[in-house]
Amino acid sequence: MDERARALGLSAGQKAADALALVPDLVTADHDPAADRAALEALSDWCVRFSPAVALDGDDGLLLDITGTDHLWGGEGAMLVDLVARLARWGVPARAAIADTAGAAWALARFGDDLAIAPPGGQRVAIEDLPVAALRLEDAAEAQLPRLGLHRVGQLFALPRAQLAKRFGLALTLRLDQALGAAAEALTFRRPASPWFDRLAFFEPISAPEDLARVAGDALALICARLEAEGRGAKRFEVVFHRLDGRAYPVRAGLARIGRDARRLTRLIVPKLDKVDPGFGIEVVTVHAGGVEALAAAQERLDSEAGNDLDETLAPLIDRLVNRLGENRVWRADPYESHVPERSVVRVAPLDPLAAARWDPDRPRPVRLFKRPEAITALAKVPDDPPVQFTWRGRSHRVRRAEGPERIGQEWWRAGTGEGETGPDKIRDYYRVEDEAGGRFWIYRQGLFDGDETPKWWIHGLFG
Amino acid sequence: MAGSREARLAALRGRIAAIEAGTRTPTPVLPFGDPAIDGCFPGGGLPLGGWHEVTGAGLEDETGAAPAAFVGLLLRPLVKTGAVVWVARRGDLFAPGLAGLGFPAGRLIQVKARDEAEVLSVLEDALSTQGVAAAVGEAEAPDLTAGRRLQLACEKRGGLGVLLHRRPYGGRAGKPRMVSGSASLSRWRIAAAPSQPDAGELGLGPPRWRVELERCRGGRPGGWILEQSDAAHPFRLVSQLADHDLAAPEPLRRVG
Repeated sequence: MDERARALGLSAGQKAADALALVPDLVTADHDPAADRAALEALSDWCVRFSPAVALDGDDGLLLDITGTDHLWGGEGAMLVDLVARLARWGVPARAAIADTAGAAWALARFGDDLAIAPPGGQRVAIEDLPVAALRLEDAAEAQLPRLGLHRVGQLFALPRAQLAKRFGLALTLRLDQALGAAAEALTFRRPASPWFDRLAFFEPISAPEDLARVAGDALALICARLEAEGRGAKRFEVVFHRLDGRAYPVRAGLARIGRDARRLTRLIVPKLDKVDPGFGIEVVTVHAGGVEALAAAQERLDSEAGNDLDETLAPLIDRLVNRLGENRVWRADPYESHVPERSVVRVAPLDPLAAARWDPDRPRPVRLFKRPEAITALAKVPDDPPVQFTWRGRSHRVRRAEGPERIGQEWWRAGTGEGETGPDKIRDYYRVEDEAGGRFWIYRQGLFDGDETPKWWIHGLFG
Repeated sequence: MAGSREARLAALRGRIAAIEAGTRTPTPVLPFGDPAIDGCFPGGGLPLGGWHEVTGAGLEDETGAAPAAFVGLLLRPLVKTGAVVWVARRGDLFAPGLAGLGFPAGRLIQVKARDEAEVLSVLEDALSTQGVAAAVGEAEAPDLTAGRRLQLACEKRGGLGVLLHRRPYGGRAGKPRMVSGSASLSRWRIAAAPSQPDAGELGLGPPRWRVELERCRGGRPGGWILEQSDAAHPFRLVSQLADHDLAAPEPLRRVG
């Protein structure tokens, strides 16, 4: 609702017919809550430049936890002015306020002076002249309070709490306490609040690729210096490039082991910078560190050629590969307790601690396991015997030796195993067979033999 | 007379090797533990600090199972010194199978590359990293430049590179693309061989391979039937292939 609309006599909550009577050529649009929500979420992502902790508040508000970030703007006042001015430039009229508690900030932003700032500990004074609606009350309480002559928040301070709670519900005293800071209030931030956040702003927007690479390095150096000062390292780093027109391009890098080497991180980030479209220029770069853990300062070894912890030396390679190829393309196969061959392997990050489980050495497994077993035609003398001959990929193999069977049933107790996937016809009898040339194959017969049908044979893998 | 000729040839070979090595210290080797095989190599074992080609025969050309098992077993003693990186475009290498050969899968890092060029570049990257004892790549034959790059990467850390020739997806059947001349230290051709269980035992015996050393820099070719062994050395020599058993090797330069 802007000034011009107000001048025409329009107001929020007005009926569409009334509004059209006042302004016949009014353009109306249906309310689209989903689009509003998406826009608010986009705005909250944009606000990350002010603080990493941004929470959506209702349908029309954002709460920013600016603890420790206002100094980057030279104080809370300057930060607030900058925020509102930028929003105004994008055509987003906004009101903003800063206070110690989310409740007080909410009240001041909606009912106080524009750009109000409650001094630390001063929320009681700041909100006492505001209407009681500023307390985020339930509708019933909000309607009833003025009827009893209680118009201002300050009037509630003087009343006995027990009776207030009795009359208007515990919600009222809770809201009051939350506004004053006597009760805690949990905010759900879009991304978890983290103190591991830094930011670089530029007087002139930058766009040259080499500049982007340099500022990425600078930003990473900032956060890495802080991590080092506190004896910590992190596993995930994110450099976000904020464009002049409000779009943000995050570039991520992950480490196999916690670290804080800015030069190494920069080398991981730089190859991904081609995804960043600088447009008219990048004005702010923020950097976040995630998965922060304590990391003892490592001394550079003089004899770095030998005797180093193996994982330590492998970590840079893993990082390079993971960041280049993607996380799911680099793995170590770990044993998993399952008889079904496809399930007996889990892929884990290469430097994760080794699992205690082991594969059963008495159950030989092939070196190559096919993703999908391939059908073969087999000739068996007796249905319960391994075949004497089989044809696979158009080539006939005469079986010289065979070993088995090893019976493997589907794991019916596992969630997601459908009704049709268990039962006797899904049982596999695996045989290890060797043909005359020495080729060793892992084949199985599906289902139990029941006399009439010719059993189905499959090849599942190859022993070398 | 023949003996003295042999001795003179050996002496000449030694001098050539010394000239080729220059001032480099002799490269460490991975011995097979059997003089019949180790004698084919100038250093008395498979030289580290270089890369080797391993091809399959027949159907193995596409599936690469016997070469994979052979390589897994070959690298078993190296795992003590570092990790092994296995790069392929397909994800059908099954770690329990390697573990069954005695290869500790906890030291195996598997990488799935998107194309042949990526296989080679990951291989190169892995080999030039400290802490990687060996790296295996499944790809077609690289050209001379890529081969040379691999060689340089191997020399950097003394790692062992293995290129497992495998016909790529949709590759044409028949003769695989062979690059004449390559920077590899040796070329092997591996096929499965019928196993021989102990007398009185049923089923399959320990796996055997028909192993042909087709080319070896500074050494001579050979052919053997090898069997898996659980001793310190991963292979046990079963028998020597007679000359006529061998596939026609590369044309030899005639000496004398």
